[in-house]
Amino acid sequence: MLNEERVRLMTRMAAYEDGKGREDMKISRYYRKDYASLHTLITILWLTFGYAALIGLIGIAYMEPLMKNLTLTKLILLGCVIVGIYLILVVVYGASASNIYKNRHGRAKQRVKQYYRDLSRLKKMYEKEKK
Amino acid sequence: MSTLLVYKEQLQALYAKYAQYINKVLQFILALLVFGLINSNIGYMKLVSSAIATIGLSVICAFLPLIVLVVLASALILVQMFSLSLAALAVTGLVFFIMYVFYFRFTPDKAWIVLLTPIAFALKIPYVIPIALGLVGTPVCAVPVACGTIVYYMLHYVKTSSATLKGSGAASMIANITTFAKQLFQNKEMWVMTAALVLSLVVVNFIRTKSADHSWRIAVGAGVILNIVIVVIGDVTFNIHIAYLPLILTNILAVGVGLAMEFLFFTVDYTRTERMQFEDDEYYYYVKAVPKITISVPEKTVKKINERQNTETIDAADIKKVVEKQKQNTSNIERKKTVSKNAIPKGKITTHDETDKELLERSLKKDLGLK
Repeated sequence: MLNEERVRLMTRMAAYEDGKGREDMKISRYYRKDYASLHTLITILWLTFGYAALIGLIGIAYMEPLMKNLTLTKLILLGCVIVGIYLILVVVYGASASNIYKNRHGRAKQRVKQYYRDLSRLKKMYEKEKK
Repeated sequence: MSTLLVYKEQLQALYAKYAQYINKVLQFILALLVFGLINSNIGYMKLVSSAIATIGLSVICAFLPLIVLVVLASALILVQMFSLSLAALAVTGLVFFIMYVFYFRFTPDKAWIVLLTPIAFALKIPYVIPIALGLVGTPVCAVPVACGTIVYYMLHYVKTSSATLKGSGAASMIANITTFAKQLFQNKEMWVMTAALVLSLVVVNFIRTKSADHSWRIAVGAGVILNIVIVVIGDVTFNIHIAYLPLILTNILAVGVGLAMEFLFFTVDYTRTERMQFEDDEYYYYVKAVPKITISVPEKTVKKINERQNTETIDAADIKKVVEKQKQNTSNIERKKTVSKNAIPKGKITTHDETDKELLERSLKKDLGLK
């Protein structure tokens, strides 16, 4: 006979498997710290490329005024400002990314736990039905 | 007011019932607007700028997640830029890349706001965006709004200066990239508008989340005033020639949109506000409870009125006859039953006296031993 509770449970599990389940399974393979560190590193790499692109665009836009009266001191000062901003961005984005990915891992882990709990409940239901 | 509330309830019920279809239709309209505006403004490649391509892409996007619409719109812009010149493609690609790296990697689900902002600019109603998103969104929405503003001005520049951006050869390409980048970063109007929209959105959201009475209306008012003040200051300082009449009219429209959103999402009765104070072991609580205005939609009952059906007329005398006959039959049956219990042959008994006579006769024969 059709077990309504079992059908409900299986539907919930199937919806999870098709949706967030795949991503969550990948995330839950990592330890929390490893996952957060890896993605923070990737974020910093992306940030470096993005920042280079931004500086490049600004450099192209303000090329003429920059080239006028450019001295070595000004160049070093400019370099320091660019590197300083980059370091600030790395710290801000690194900290934010670490936080975001730690939370993401925590939520994914919880959902995966719930999924496994549902699996064992389903198994018990089948066993009960066989008896 | 109560009629309006009834309409609101009915509207919500209707949306709840057909949400799936309504969302698809809205998504289709958004996609049509996005692709239509891109193709009508910078439609340099005729193959993808046709009406069929626009409608086809919109239909596809209606059935896919919103992020696909954002990706396809970005790809379409890049294709059109490529068709114009490599310089335009390079600068636009870099701008998109920077936006992706700094923001959309983390929250791709808010990317649709980037599409909504240029649409609002194209429809000449940009000031509605910070009011609407400040009321229903979060302060983080300011980032996609800023990105959307930059995208609009970038496309606007390409549209107005397409002739200068054309040109082949390495030298002209570098010159075009420099011109485009310069125009992009030195566009004072763009920065003034970005500042106005971002600050207005943040302020609207900040006031809206406060527990003060009529916070939504105050937020709308503050947002609109801030919009006007920043734009006017920017106009006076940088001499960017912004028309004041459309500015005021659009902000009046933004007030209307804000009030409509308050009615739809935050209908409360401040006259029945309750203030409570209590404590537990760790905290003192000062609670302000504002009741929502809820109204039950009157249910319509449909009464069916059918055509009168004629019934058959029966004569009373006939009914009496039938009833008497039935009575007679039932009394006969009862009598037969009692007789059968005493095992008397059915055929011989006709009346009550005869029965008695028969019974007497039998008992006498039994007593006297006669056969």
